[in-house]
Amino acid sequence: MAEMVKLFVNGQEVEVESGKNLIDALKVVGIEIPHFCYHPALGADGNCRMCLVGIEDGRPPLVPACKTPAQEGMKVQLDAEHIKKIQRDVLEFELINHPVDCPVCDQAGECALQDYYMSYSLDDSRMRVEQVTKGKKIDFGSGVVHDQERCVLCGRCVRFTRQITHTGELGIVNRTDAARVSIFPGKPLNNRYALNIVDICPVGAMTSSDFRFKQRVWFLQKDPGICHGCSKGCSIYIDHHREKYKDDVIYRFRARTNLKVNGYFICDFGRLSYAAENENRQTTATADGSAIGFDEAIELVRERLDRARKPLMLVSPDLSLEQMWAVKRIATLYGADLSGYSDSYVIDGDGDDYLINDDKAANRKGLELLDIDSSKEQFISTLQYTDLLVNFNNDLFYSGVDEELKAQLDKTQSIAVCSHQLPVFESATIALPTASYSEYGGTIVNEDYVLQRFDKALFKNEDPRDVLEITRLLGGAIIDAPHAWPGIRQSVADLADIDPETIPAEGLNLQNSEDTNVGA
Amino acid sequence: MSIKVRTVERKGRTFLEQLYLVEVIKGMTVTLGHFFRNLLDNSRLYVRHYPEVEPEITARWRGRHRLTRHEDGSVKCVACFMCQTNCPSNCIMIEAGERHDGRSEKMPTRFDIDLLECIYCGYCVEACPMDAIRMDTGIYSVTSYSRDSMVLGLEELLETPGAFDEEEYKKGGG
Ligand code: SF4
Ligand code: SF4
Ligand code: SF4
Ligand code: SF4
Ligand code: FES
Repeated sequence: MAEMVKLFVNGQEVEVESGKNLIDALKVVGIEIPHFCYHPALGADGNCRMCLVGIEDGRPPLVPACKTPAQEGMKVQLDAEHIKKIQRDVLEFELINHPVDCPVCDQAGECALQDYYMSYSLDDSRMRVEQVTKGKKIDFGSGVVHDQERCVLCGRCVRFTRQITHTGELGIVNRTDAARVSIFPGKPLNNRYALNIVDICPVGAMTSSDFRFKQRVWFLQKDPGICHGCSKGCSIYIDHHREKYKDDVIYRFRARTNLKVNGYFICDFGRLSYAAENENRQTTATADGSAIGFDEAIELVRERLDRARKPLMLVSPDLSLEQMWAVKRIATLYGADLSGYSDSYVIDGDGDDYLINDDKAANRKGLELLDIDSSKEQFISTLQYTDLLVNFNNDLFYSGVDEELKAQLDKTQSIAVCSHQLPVFESATIALPTASYSEYGGTIVNEDYVLQRFDKALFKNEDPRDVLEITRLLGGAIIDAPHAWPGIRQSVADLADIDPETIPAEGLNLQNSEDTNVGA
Repeated sequence: MSIKVRTVERKGRTFLEQLYLVEVIKGMTVTLGHFFRNLLDNSRLYVRHYPEVEPEITARWRGRHRLTRHEDGSVKCVACFMCQTNCPSNCIMIEAGERHDGRSEKMPTRFDIDLLECIYCGYCVEACPMDAIRMDTGIYSVTSYSRDSMVLGLEELLETPGAFDEEEYKKGGG
C-alpha cells in the first residue's frame, strides 16, 4: 500500500496516494483535471498546458498538474476564475484551426476535446480569418488513418512509437500553424501494436480503418472481457451492439488497463480478432452433413457415447477452467480418455518480449492445473484405438493442416462441439454448435499464472450453448460455472482457496501467495 | 405556494332537469335544427370534402420525410446518425460508408425510415446538423397495401421534392 498524503483541492481536504502526479492522484478520488498530452503509459510531456492548476502556497502560482507530484498540505486550486480562464483559453487555442467535423468524426462521443469543450468552455469561435487546412484521411499504414486537421499536437502517438514500440515511425514536422504529425516518406507505421495509437489519441486525429464509419460509439455497449488471441490474456473491452432487427455483434476490441497483465495496450492481432467472433460460425447442429435439431443431435451424441467402447475426449486449450473441469467429469462418466493436445496453437518465434506470445492458447496453464494430459504421444496413441473422438472446439490445425493427422482423423468416427466452421471439424459425423469466448463467462489462467475471470458479454438472438452446458446435456452433473468450483477446489491444490466471485478485476497471481490469500 | 380552492356551483338538480325528458327534447331540438338547416343548405357546413378537396398544408406541417441535396446535386446527409440517435421511436436505420464526391468523407449507404413506426414528431429534423432531413414534402397521407413498402429507402427519400420554396420553409421556422 502506498503512502497517503492529505492535500486540499478548492479548499476541500482529500486523501490521495503520494508519488503520483496530481492528474492520477486526484482521478482516484473522482476529481478530473483536463489534459491532452499526459498519458500514464507515456509519462508527462507538458506540452498542451490544458492541465494547469493553481497552487496557493508560495510555490510557483501555476503548475502543470501532469508534472506535479501530490504532496502533503498542498493547496490546489481548480475552480478559481483565473484557472477557468486558462482552460477556456487553451481550448480556444486548440479550436482555432480545428475543423469540428464531429458529425463525420469517429471519435465523437469519446473525444477529449469535445468533452472538455462542453465542460470547460462553450465559448463561440472568434475566428474571422480562413482556417488553416491540412491533410485529411492520410493512410499511415497498419490500419491507422490520420486526420491532420483534428490533431491537437499532444505528441502521444509520437511518444508511443518511440517509447513503447521503439520503432519511431512518427514525428511532428514544422512549427506553429503548419505543425503536423507525419510518417517519414515511404515509411508507414509498421509494428504489431500500431492500432493502440487510435486508442491513445485523445481526439479523432487517429482513426482505425477497420472501425471507420462502422458505428457511432454511443450505441456500443462496452463490456469487459479477456482477449483469447494468445496466452497473455490481455484485458479488453468488448464493444458490441444489436442493431434493430439484427443480431448482437462485436464492432471492436479495445485495450482495458490492467497493470498486472497487459498495462495499457494490446496487440493488433488481438484487437482485430473480434472479427472471428462474428464470422464463420457453426450455428446449427448437423449429422452426416445435414442440419438437424439441437436436442436431436444431443440425443445422437449420447447414444454414440453410450455405445462407444473406448471414447476419447479432446479439449481446446482456450476453454475456461470450468468448462475443462466439466469435460473432465463427463470423461470419467463415460470412461473416456481425455486429452488437451494442442501443439498446433504454438507458433514458434511469433512472440516478442512485450505482449505477444508464441503460444496462442488462452488457457494452457489451466490444462496443466487441471492435470489434463496434452502430450502428443498420449493423444496419437489413444487416437489409434479409439472408436469415438469428441472434440471440444480444439483446432488441431490452428497453424495449418497436418496431413498425417488428418488422415488419422478421417479414419476415426468423430463428434465436433465447435464454435466455428473449421477444416479440422470437417471429418466429424455430428457437429454441435457451441458458444465462443465472448458468449460465456468463466476463468482462465494466463502464461504468468494470473487467474482472470470474465463474464458473458454477448447475448445472441439464438444464444449458442457453451461447452459446460453441453456437458450437462450429455449427462454431466455440473449445471453452471459456479458449480464447477467445489470440485476444482478439492482436486487442484493451487486453486484450493479460490472463490471466483472475489477474483479482482485485474486478476489474481497464483504464484504470489499473499495475493491468493487476499482473494480467498 | 398556496393552493386556491374554488367551489363550482352544481347544476342539473332542479325537478324539471331531473325528469330528463324535458332536457332530451331541448337537446333534440338543437340537433334536429342543425340537421334540417344543413339538409336544406349545405354551403355553410364546417366540413372539408376530403379527399375530393385537399387541405392546404403550411410549411411547418410535418409531413413525410425527404433527404435534401446541395445545389450541385450531392447528398447533404453525412451519416452522422444524429437523427437516428434522437428518434424516439427508433425507426431510422442508417449504414454509413466512405464518400468520394469531394464533400466531407462520410455518407449513408443505407438510410431507411420505417413510416409505420414513425410518430412524425420531427425530432430527426431538429437534430440534423446538415439540414439534410426535412418533413416538408407536403405528403400527409401515407398509406400502402404492404408493410414492406412503408419502409422508405435512401433513393425514395432523395427523390421526393420539397413542397415549399426555401423562403417559405425558413419562415416556418425550418
Ligand atoms: S476530434 Fe473531437 S472535436 Fe474534433 S471533430 Fe472529432 S469529435 Fe469533434
Ligand atoms: S495525432 Fe492524436 S495523439 Fe498524435 S499528436 Fe495528434 S492529437 Fe496527439
Ligand atoms: S419524425 Fe420522429 S419518429 Fe419519425 S423518424 Fe423523425 S424522429 Fe423518428
Ligand atoms: S439526415 Fe442529418 S442527422 Fe440524419 S444522418 Fe444525415 S446528416 Fe445526420
Ligand atoms: S497534460 Fe499537462 S501539459 Fe499536457
